Amino acid sequence: MRGAITLALLCMAAGAMNADELSDRQQDSIEARWNTLLNTVVVTGTRTPKLLKDSPILTRVLSSSDIRQADATNISDLLQSELPGIEFTYSMNQQVNLNMQGFGGNSVLFLIDGERVAGETLDNVDYNRLNLSNVERIEIVKGGASALYGSNAVGGVVNIISKEQSRPWSLNINGRYGAHNSQRYGAVAGFKAGIFSSSTTLQYNHENSYNMKNSGDFTRYYGGYNWNIKERFTIAPIKQMKIIGRLGYYFRQRNAQENTRDRYRGFSGGLRGMYTFNKYNDLDVAYNFDQYDKSDYIVPTSKDVRKYSNAQNSVRAIYNHTFGGKHILTLGGDVMRDYLQSYQFENNGHKSQLTADGMAQLDMNFTDNLNIIAGGRYDYFSEAAMKHFSSRLSVMYKIDSWRLRGSYSGGFRAPTLKEMYMDFDMAGIFMIYGNPDLKPETSNNFQLSAEFTHRLLNFNIGGFCNLVDNRITTAWNQSLGGQFYSNIGRVNIAGIDANVAWKHSCGFGARLSYIYTREHVRKGQPYTSSTRPHTATARLDYGRSWKNYRLNVALHGRVLSAVTVDEYTSLTDYSDTERVRYPAYTMWRLNITQGIMSGIDLTLAVDNLFNYVPKYYYSNSPATTGTTLSVGLSVDVDKLFK
Amino acid sequence: MMVNLVKRLFLSVAIGAAAMLLHGCNGLFSSVYDTPDTAIASEYGFVTAATDNTPGKIYVDATDYSRWVYLNFSDMSIDTLGIDDPEPKEWDIALHRYDAKTNGGAVKEEGSAEYVEDVWTTNTIVTDMSTMMDGYLTYAESYYNKVLSSWLDVDKSTMPPVYTLSGKKYFVALADGREVELRLINFMDDSGVKGYLTIEYQYRK
Repeated sequence: MRGAITLALLCMAAGAMNADELSDRQQDSIEARWNTLLNTVVVTGTRTPKLLKDSPILTRVLSSSDIRQADATNISDLLQSELPGIEFTYSMNQQVNLNMQGFGGNSVLFLIDGERVAGETLDNVDYNRLNLSNVERIEIVKGGASALYGSNAVGGVVNIISKEQSRPWSLNINGRYGAHNSQRYGAVAGFKAGIFSSSTTLQYNHENSYNMKNSGDFTRYYGGYNWNIKERFTIAPIKQMKIIGRLGYYFRQRNAQENTRDRYRGFSGGLRGMYTFNKYNDLDVAYNFDQYDKSDYIVPTSKDVRKYSNAQNSVRAIYNHTFGGKHILTLGGDVMRDYLQSYQFENNGHKSQLTADGMAQLDMNFTDNLNIIAGGRYDYFSEAAMKHFSSRLSVMYKIDSWRLRGSYSGGFRAPTLKEMYMDFDMAGIFMIYGNPDLKPETSNNFQLSAEFTHRLLNFNIGGFCNLVDNRITTAWNQSLGGQFYSNIGRVNIAGIDANVAWKHSCGFGARLSYIYTREHVRKGQPYTSSTRPHTATARLDYGRSWKNYRLNVALHGRVLSAVTVDEYTSLTDYSDTERVRYPAYTMWRLNITQGIMSGIDLTLAVDNLFNYVPKYYYSNSPATTGTTLSVGLSVDVDKLFK
Repeated sequence: MMVNLVKRLFLSVAIGAAAMLLHGCNGLFSSVYDTPDTAIASEYGFVTAATDNTPGKIYVDATDYSRWVYLNFSDMSIDTLGIDDPEPKEWDIALHRYDAKTNGGAVKEEGSAEYVEDVWTTNTIVTDMSTMMDGYLTYAESYYNKVLSSWLDVDKSTMPPVYTLSGKKYFVALADGREVELRLINFMDDSGVKGYLTIEYQYRK
């Protein structure tokens, strides 16, 4: 509240009007902006369109404006900047590793327009592939969601929603230059003519490798470059029907070694048809293809040799039936073929499996104030000969400006082909063996939250508890003399999540988010979780428009507390641990965007504002060398002609 | 018309999808990549002989931590023996992974004036990496030429190690008075497996 008062004073100092003095029209305008956010249609929580304010599943939405303000290139930049409880660290070979409130990368499901993304490296998808150019919004649902999405939706779902082309034509070109020769160039071109619309996105990123300032677990950041090309078209031949097609290509090269370059490629395509039979019935069918490859480019011989290929082909159908005027029954199913060729299989071999599922969900609105959602999904995996049932029950009750939500949701993660069949010699040091008898990892997630929205203020607080069982990890197996994929015992993760957001008519806005996370271990057992207990993000922004000039200033900060971890002293014997403390740190970024004429935006960003340089670079330290600057230019060419 | 459109749409999606699922798109786009040359893998030793004008090429499988590969420049032969086996009667240079030793010779790096002889080492020639899991490495005692072995820097401070070829020429004065110039041009096979050495050589006298 002190922050709000300070902002109000700042606002007055800036010569703007006090809230009390605002005309009704201006007050309405601010409220309208809030309502725009609260009236955003979200789809991830229920797989049916719902207004954010009416969604019984607490959903955090990051808008295209948030993406622009955060100056984010990919999903990891954005999530880290906007959400507490999220940390991207390095695992072996400087591969990026997600920790989202105690859940790793393979327990958070990343979707692009509701579709899965193939491929992984050390249990994480390629976050560089999840490019934010031409993205409308990102929806984040925390907790288990396997009753809707099946495997991997253990700790949460992050759904990236593409922009729909709405103008007759549009063209944006943009570029950014920053420290370590980081360069980003992009273009988005779109048109809409009659029943057809198209949007084409191209982006190139480059960054040099650079050395850290001090010693550590890593001493050099490996640079490289990547290309991201996306095409999305829509045909609406009749009012009731829409067909969406998409194609995508992604290429990344990482310069970790002088004589070999790590290369990653993504190929994707899809066709989706949506048909509304009448006011009460609609059907959505889709076919999707996604492939993710890894290869080594061998510099001395100029050969690019593929060593990994994951191809997923899937078909999905979802049918919605509205009955009783306000209840919705959703029925759906998917069939997917998952193919994996890997250097980590015996003789660079390959494996494949079919997965199939059926799901049902009942969305019941008994009164205007009470919404109950109940659902279940049954999944089958051919290779593991495994069946799993997931369920969910969510309740929302509205009283005046309050929304009270409570939910139980089940999550699971089926053992992957890699985890079942790995047979990999780790540089002659040890072997890693897969285990075809693995059980699925499961979670039971309970959440309670209260959200308050009134005019200029939005506030929510909640508690969560995840009971996770049979986590899949590698453990030393004495008889095999190597690492062996195994299920480990129960882990309980609980915490508190709080957010407050405030906007003022004079252009100031603020958001503060905080999460407390704690893994519970039995007395006497080592505390091996490296999840930081306290994390917070803050944003303070000011935006104002004049006739031919716009100004937007945004200060983003993230604070991560220290964490003390008991680490095993040996990889082969789990009897001894040593206590390691990873230090707290905070990072702040200032973005100043000036808009000139209509459609030209110039951005100046100062990253790591307080010049934080780790004394020792742990794998969970940021790869920063101190304060850096970047400049960016974005031109909406179509707006210049208006 | 509307019903037909819907039927066609869903039918085409279903047929296309079923075809893809049944056929199984097993790692498409293979034409984007190069195919490793398997013929190279079966050809070890002095692959091409040096002439007065062009260097010769040696290709060696030095992947095994428990073996030395002995090179004999007189008859252009190689001999791969266990680390504890007696040395062959005649040899000039021996290789173990990226470690190198000479048979009583000395080595000068390009740009340096000093020839450096082999030294006896007890903590360089790793014979078993797997004991690293128990906190130590197993070494063989042997002679070792530090200068020639610097043709590839293996920085083990990170995992996996960072490999950097020096790209330099190394002048090896053999014990019988001849001098051969060596350059390590690759330490991987055609599919990127490390431990396969491609060496260019040229006689200096």
